[in-house]
Amino acid sequence: MHFMPMRTALYELHKELGASFTDFIGYEMPLRYTSIQEEHLNVRHKVGIFDVSHMGNVIIRGRDAEKLLSRITVERAEKIKRGMGQYTLLLNPDGSIIDDELFFNLGNDEYLIIPNSGMHEKVVKWMEENAEGNVEIEDVTNDYSILAVQGPHSEEVMKEIIDFDFSTLKFFGCEEVGNKFRMPFDGRCIVSRSGYTGEKGYEMYIHPAEEAIDVFREILTRGEKYGIMPIGLGARDTLRLEKGFMLAGNEFEGGRNPIEASLEWTIDWEHDFIGKEAVMEFKKREEYEKITYLVCRSNGIPRHGDEVILNGERIGVVSSGNFSPCLKKGIALAYVNTKYRDVGNMVTIRGRRDIEAEIIKGPFVKKGEC
Amino acid sequence: MEIRDNLLYTENHEWVMVNNGVARVGITDHAQEELTDVVFVELPEEGKEFKKGDVMATLESVKSVADVYAPITGKVVKTNEKLNDEPGLINSSPYDDGWLVEMSIENEEELEKLLSPEEYGKLIE
Repeated sequence: MHFMPMRTALYELHKELGASFTDFIGYEMPLRYTSIQEEHLNVRHKVGIFDVSHMGNVIIRGRDAEKLLSRITVERAEKIKRGMGQYTLLLNPDGSIIDDELFFNLGNDEYLIIPNSGMHEKVVKWMEENAEGNVEIEDVTNDYSILAVQGPHSEEVMKEIIDFDFSTLKFFGCEEVGNKFRMPFDGRCIVSRSGYTGEKGYEMYIHPAEEAIDVFREILTRGEKYGIMPIGLGARDTLRLEKGFMLAGNEFEGGRNPIEASLEWTIDWEHDFIGKEAVMEFKKREEYEKITYLVCRSNGIPRHGDEVILNGERIGVVSSGNFSPCLKKGIALAYVNTKYRDVGNMVTIRGRRDIEAEIIKGPFVKKGEC
Repeated sequence: MEIRDNLLYTENHEWVMVNNGVARVGITDHAQEELTDVVFVELPEEGKEFKKGDVMATLESVKSVADVYAPITGKVVKTNEKLNDEPGLINSSPYDDGWLVEMSIENEEELEKLLSPEEYGKLIE
């Protein structure tokens, strides 16, 4: 049997731009166009554009849509007003994380939810199982493209394409801009101030998906004077890791809960949600494995699954490891036993070889540093 | 993808250049492309002896880790120390500034078994 990889609407354009591709959860996605480090630094210092259409898109509508979101996420959805969005988690009844998502309140009882790549079917099923009253759930993953424009010059680039005062858009704010394009555009476009790089940036949810091809092209052309580059998933991963952002497939593997993942800050305890009791119960534990930041003090790059060793004992496991193009060092997120995760402790990361690493307070790269 | 006419190749994507009885070894343009940005290089110590097929060096890139195998049997006579500070030379100049080690040639017959540029070209097609 031969499985055809899934492709986004922009696949041919990526090819034309010289991308080398990688398989990411069944999608054939650009890994890089030039070099991962060059693309990474371009986003930190200037601006870059990403095709992230492999992410899911789900729209829910109806009087009880807000109630559904509050029930299945750790956020109290009524707090998120029209034109705003939030980063949140979906939990199993046992408290383990199903997926992390952004959701946006589009007004008129309509919400856009962005599950991770490969997760939209599971998320939709979970919603359907828990929906009550008047709520319609639509999986529109294949109908939308998602583009991300990220970097210190992202606002200038967005203004070149869309006639909108982007300075009014707050962090996690969203706006319908389909009728505000400065180029031919026929469709719906929701833009949010959000991203996965830790830089100022915007994400565009575009329907129909094919409309994004010309938008991507035009952003590259008009963004040239700001030094824009197309950015692949290679740099997307190093960019997010430097900021300590979770990658669902890595950090949530094996059923981690929000306490272990250091994501308690996402929880609004003032409402009932699936998994609440289990997480409250877990919180009473004194000893468990918790997300920890490790910076390498000897050469080498930690990788997913490497063990964390202290005095010959295994005290944790690396969930994500890579090279930091800003620090020029190996960095890792690891689940480390709470007894040993004091800042300043030296540990050994054991993979193909041993790497000496220090526990630090995250993120690896702070705002404006690099 | 560049394949140089004056080099010999292995199936593991190393190249060998013979000059005055010494074999200079590196990885091919194709290999550096596949590996992406090399950020750490672990080279053998000078004087160390390897049999053909032994792991001789390790290259670590943003994407993955790759072992470099000794393409022939011999003793390391020189390593490219520049790579410790500039591992990216392997990507920018795989056949020139990005060479890895120079080895003595213990067994001339091993050279004959290496791939010609044409054979290597077919391999990576």
